[in-house]
Amino acid sequence: MNAGNQRRVFWALLVVLALGGFLLSLLTGPVKTTFGDLVDFIRQYDRVQAAIFLDLRLSRAVLAFLVGAALSLSGAILQGYFRNPMADPFVVGVSSGAALGAVAALSLGIRFAAFGFSGQGLMAFASGLGIVSLVYLLSLRRGDFRVETLLLTGIAAGALASALTSFLLFMRSDSFDQAVFWLLGSFQLAEWPQVGAVAPWFALGLLLAVWLARDMNLLALGDEAARALGCPVATVRKVFLGVATLLAALSVSVSGIIGFVGLVVPHWVRLLIGPEHRRLFAGASLAGGTFLLYCDLLARTLLPSELPIGVITAAVGAPFFLYLLHRKR
Amino acid sequence: MTGSRARLRMGAGRSPLLPILAAALIITAGHLSIADATIRGHVTSVHVPESPALAVGEARREAAKDVALTTPVAGGDPPQAGGPPGLVPGGAGGLRAMSFAKPNRGLLQDRQTSFIRDDLGRPFVLPDTAPERIVSLAPNVTEILFALGLGDRVVGVTRFCDHPPAAKSIPKVGGLVDPNVEIVRSLDPDLVIGFRGNPLRVLDRIGKLGLPVFVLDIGQGLEALFPLIEKIGAVTLAGERAGRLATGLRERAEAVGAAMTGVGRRPRVFVLLYGQGLWTSGGESYLDDLIDRAGADNVASALPKKWALYKREQILKDDPEAVFVLSKTEEDFARARDWLERQSRLESVAAVRAGRVHRLDEDAASRFGPRLVDVLERMARLLHPERFGEAL
Repeated sequence: MNAGNQRRVFWALLVVLALGGFLLSLLTGPVKTTFGDLVDFIRQYDRVQAAIFLDLRLSRAVLAFLVGAALSLSGAILQGYFRNPMADPFVVGVSSGAALGAVAALSLGIRFAAFGFSGQGLMAFASGLGIVSLVYLLSLRRGDFRVETLLLTGIAAGALASALTSFLLFMRSDSFDQAVFWLLGSFQLAEWPQVGAVAPWFALGLLLAVWLARDMNLLALGDEAARALGCPVATVRKVFLGVATLLAALSVSVSGIIGFVGLVVPHWVRLLIGPEHRRLFAGASLAGGTFLLYCDLLARTLLPSELPIGVITAAVGAPFFLYLLHRKR
Repeated sequence: MTGSRARLRMGAGRSPLLPILAAALIITAGHLSIADATIRGHVTSVHVPESPALAVGEARREAAKDVALTTPVAGGDPPQAGGPPGLVPGGAGGLRAMSFAKPNRGLLQDRQTSFIRDDLGRPFVLPDTAPERIVSLAPNVTEILFALGLGDRVVGVTRFCDHPPAAKSIPKVGGLVDPNVEIVRSLDPDLVIGFRGNPLRVLDRIGKLGLPVFVLDIGQGLEALFPLIEKIGAVTLAGERAGRLATGLRERAEAVGAAMTGVGRRPRVFVLLYGQGLWTSGGESYLDDLIDRAGADNVASALPKKWALYKREQILKDDPEAVFVLSKTEEDFARARDWLERQSRLESVAAVRAGRVHRLDEDAASRFGPRLVDVLERMARLLHPERFGEAL
């Protein structure tokens, strides 16, 4: 099979998997529903079924898909940005930083809606950007950029941000439920306005990423080489870092910290369709959405009461992370 | 390659920030209109009665007593990112008022309008007809609903709702901290009653589905039970029955108080919650209030908490004259009593020496419902048997 055919099979399979995931998500829940019920509902409207199928299950599936796509795209961008296959919004600390911002907004009672999203989303973005800049500066010693330093700094900064988040949460009286949500993530209470808050920014981020994908390909050659080939390196880097942080921060502000999605999915996609960034960004988005859709299905069916989705993604992602780390040695 | 770079240069003067700014502007415009509506919602709702308690006629006399009860203790939670203000708890009045369908200024100024504030301070529009399908999200609420004779209208309860026994056969919607939104919705309720302990995010999500959610909070002491019952009566349009139930319970509590007037010696009491460690009820618990009403002093009264972990040395120092053990079963109580007697240093405590270790039903004593008055009477009789020759 040549590369072109392999890519066509990849896309076809992915679309089928995604559609299947959406259908399964619609039919799965604590209230028993069959495919027949769904068909009946499509034929004849029913108030209760409309709430269950559309307001609860479909909004949840769409949000899970969007967040998965956004995290995976963010991871793909960061991996290109740091020229490092181990980067991911969770590992470099963006997610934890964003959660800290969101929880701080919650605790300070910031609730304005401006600049296109809520105060929570904005604080998440600001603090995610702050953490990733800090990590970048700390791991850039004497112009020398070491992968291990980046990972360790990111993990340490992320742990610090998570500790501050926990502290803020445990000062509140309804802390337990909130802490589990922010630190491990969940789509249990997904709703359409959250989809509305993420979707336009994700679309914008994807467009920008695809538009600048060729510059990302040049960056892979090294900043000097890219500059020599005419790539406005500084600007492109700023935009990519902004987009990756924005995507991760928005995801965190609606669903809490969901780790490792941005790490493993771009990897799989790169193995299947190659490292060219335009294809990689599009493929990672679709694959990430599909992956998180199935993770969410597992999260709500594995146990009688729901698991936080971060448990599932970490169970899949952390061993993969260890495998990558081991292989690098 | 050259294409994208060329566009970069000429499109935004070497900066691709222009498309971002443009898109941000478009999206901001959309959201600003929401924010604007929020502000206007605030303005129109200024005339909502200021009393944080019941705003409805018959119950308004409770208002003064209620102020403490209605402090939004569960915290002011802003909505999750991006959500338009639906049912938003806590915070300034603006967002809260949005849950109230298009407030009409004329109606609001008329204090006879049919709405009531729940214990989060949110207005709740009273239904025109009595709710037929009620979901209770807490065991004490279930007990009160049954005590009001509304048991046959309860269509969903938590897995902890086991009293009265008839409640056990009602469909379960989950637990106190994990009620399932989808199951609640599938029961198609016309009233959902939440209580402190239910996560606010879950209650909000239920409210955003268009279901009427009324949230109650535990108050200070036994006194808060009576308005709680009356509020449940108000939202179920069973106000008269609720008034009778509350009055009956209040009279029983006052009878205990009357029997205790002029009590000479107030024994020192320690409450032990059976389980791991020395958990006891602190000064902010209603059990502290019950002990006080039963003519005794809670040794842990100084702890500014509802439940607190006590130190063994402190019990020796306090030397309580009576111990109440909260346990689910008689076997647990026997185990707890044995444990107290076996503890090498606790056996010198007065209560243990005198055998004044008594059991209280854990469910009755730990649910803020009508059975608290039973608990109060039992405590009073055990602590001051001499007072009940003819008093009750």
